Amino acid sequence: MPTETKKQKNRIGLWFEKFRAMSPADKRRTITDLLFNNAMYIIIFVAIVYVAIRVPAFLSVSSIVNIISLTAAKLPIALGIGGAIVLTGTDISAGRAVGLTACIAASLLQMTSYSSKIFPNIGVLPLPLVLLIVIAVGALIGFVNGFFVAKFKLHPFIVTLSTQLILFGLVLMYLMIGGNNGQTLSGLDPSYTNFVRGTLFKIGNVSVPRYVLYSIILTALMWVIWNKTKFGKNMFAVGSNEEAANVSGVNVFWTIVMVFVLAGAMYGITGFIEGARIASISANTGLNYESDAIAACVIGGVSFVGGTGKISGIVVGVFLLQIIFVGLNFLSVDQNMLYVIKGLIILFACAIDMRKYLAKK
Amino acid sequence: MKKLTAILLTLALALTALLGLVSCAGTEDGEISVFYYTNADTYISSVRTAMDKILTDAGLKFQNYDANGSQTTQTEQVTTAIAKGSRALIVNLVDTNSDDAAQNIVDMAKEKDIPVIFFNRSVKQSVIESYDKCVFVGTDYEEAGHMQGKMIGEYVLANYDKLDLNGDGKISYAMFKGQEGNQEAIARTEFAVKDANAILTAAGKPELVYYDSSNANKYQVDQNGQWSAAAAKDYMSTNLSRFSEANNNMIELVIANNDEMALGAISALQELGYNMGGESTLIPVFGVDATEAAKDAIRTGSMIGTIKQDAEGMADAIATVVQNLLDGKAKFESVDSEKVVGDWRVNIPYATYLGE
Repeated sequence: MPTETKKQKNRIGLWFEKFRAMSPADKRRTITDLLFNNAMYIIIFVAIVYVAIRVPAFLSVSSIVNIISLTAAKLPIALGIGGAIVLTGTDISAGRAVGLTACIAASLLQMTSYSSKIFPNIGVLPLPLVLLIVIAVGALIGFVNGFFVAKFKLHPFIVTLSTQLILFGLVLMYLMIGGNNGQTLSGLDPSYTNFVRGTLFKIGNVSVPRYVLYSIILTALMWVIWNKTKFGKNMFAVGSNEEAANVSGVNVFWTIVMVFVLAGAMYGITGFIEGARIASISANTGLNYESDAIAACVIGGVSFVGGTGKISGIVVGVFLLQIIFVGLNFLSVDQNMLYVIKGLIILFACAIDMRKYLAKK
Repeated sequence: MKKLTAILLTLALALTALLGLVSCAGTEDGEISVFYYTNADTYISSVRTAMDKILTDAGLKFQNYDANGSQTTQTEQVTTAIAKGSRALIVNLVDTNSDDAAQNIVDMAKEKDIPVIFFNRSVKQSVIESYDKCVFVGTDYEEAGHMQGKMIGEYVLANYDKLDLNGDGKISYAMFKGQEGNQEAIARTEFAVKDANAILTAAGKPELVYYDSSNANKYQVDQNGQWSAAAAKDYMSTNLSRFSEANNNMIELVIANNDEMALGAISALQELGYNMGGESTLIPVFGVDATEAAKDAIRTGSMIGTIKQDAEGMADAIATVVQNLLDGKAKFESVDSEKVVGDWRVNIPYATYLGE
């Protein structure tokens, strides 16, 4: 939206003119609206300031790098799920899809010298090939999800609930292959772990892991897809009104399928990164990942109402959840409170979000 | 086209149903029912593999069930198996916090006069002894923690000055707990430190110090209760962003309730260049279970030690006891008498594993 950026200065000026002309009551309402609409940014700011005052190390370079790394690790799956939410849907198979692709990536990239290698005869496959395989597997999972949603008009919740179960079964079976006996997959080839968690660059003596870069690339890619392509525009059109989109010539079927395929591909990449990041992959890998991803999207303003949402919002949502995780750890808050605080934040974020739509009506 | 899709869908459904039927074909009377608390557990998977093999070799018909971490599911599975005419129940109980779940299963079995063997996850003596055909095969759940503590104490004592990176005369440690409210997790979290401290103080050294003095719990727990590597990794990365050699407060020792969490912590350390072997600084990491992955980490030097649970030994003891009960012999015939406790349980000993 370059035209809008050009007009931005002008718009702010106009806004102030309008504001000055308002009655006191209107002024008050405008201010509260402004506060509510930017509540997430305000909460993040307050949280950071509070934690930083209590524990100054929170703003040290290594701590900031840690928060950014954690955000980067949890971002791709949220970027994928975001599309499903724009379509008023959801995807609860995401975590298990990450689990399966992480298992596949890890099993194909175990060191040849590792004693309990799951496929002893294939050596270590080239990284790009494995990346392609997991993206393909993820995309296939997404295709199945999207196909059943689009073709049979089933609610994505029920479709992805089914695939979630199927995928968990597949993960358990996959881990029994060869002599693995359900054991944790480990002994990953250094080329793989280096590619993912090797040092990208150093700030002082703090190293930034490479997956931060991959996450930035994926975010940029998704931004372009959402904002600059016909597919992205179709996605928002279908999300806000399927009938209208259909009438105006959007291929609703393929739009829905492709949103899920894209999401699946993101899960595949998440699995690939997660495999090396955790370096110890079991049937539990990926469990509940979707709940954090969905929460992050919703906090970031990707609404279940459909047709709205921004990539920047998703990044903010993921970032906020990591701030909470790290902040509460730094404050040594009772861990049980983490559930309560997370729950409250999601609830308030949704309420604030819906408030916008209610106000419009 | 619509009709074709409908036909295809119906066919798919029929096939799925058939698949289900085929996979439980041959379920006439007389099979042994084995209930696992979850198929996703690494250690339990080793027991399952060993048990499958022993039961198959012994020519016994059996059926495995996966409760997927839910006691409700497991109890329903037990009811179904009994209704199907099971001749023995082998149960890896889900809920170890209350006696009711176990007692309920014992009562159901008693009514049908079929033997019940509980294994791995602890069941109270009074529950086991309420039925003469009931046995518990497991480990002394406190023992793993004690052995881990002893192993840590001895290792730290032998390498004290090397481990004390900031030279303050004390060793700071991080502790990763697998799950809240789990007996084994509680015991391991407590005794790993207590027993290590006992060894250290006996040798005139100060006790281990939890790295974060403001955390009264003195542990960090997997919020999902899954004992997972991912939880330990995220905690450890966060800890290391604040406690480092540069700040002169580096975590000097890592204790984890299981090997998964130990490996997660190692991944976080390796991201910062620790525990890479060769010249890199080693932060000693200890786990429990002796999974293949952990053994390999110990072999390559990124981990120090773990506690081995003997999966084959456990499966073997269970199979022997089941056979005895089915054949009407004495419960513990041909079971190593050293392992038998009273008239109710068999203890499979743990072993320290520091590499081969």
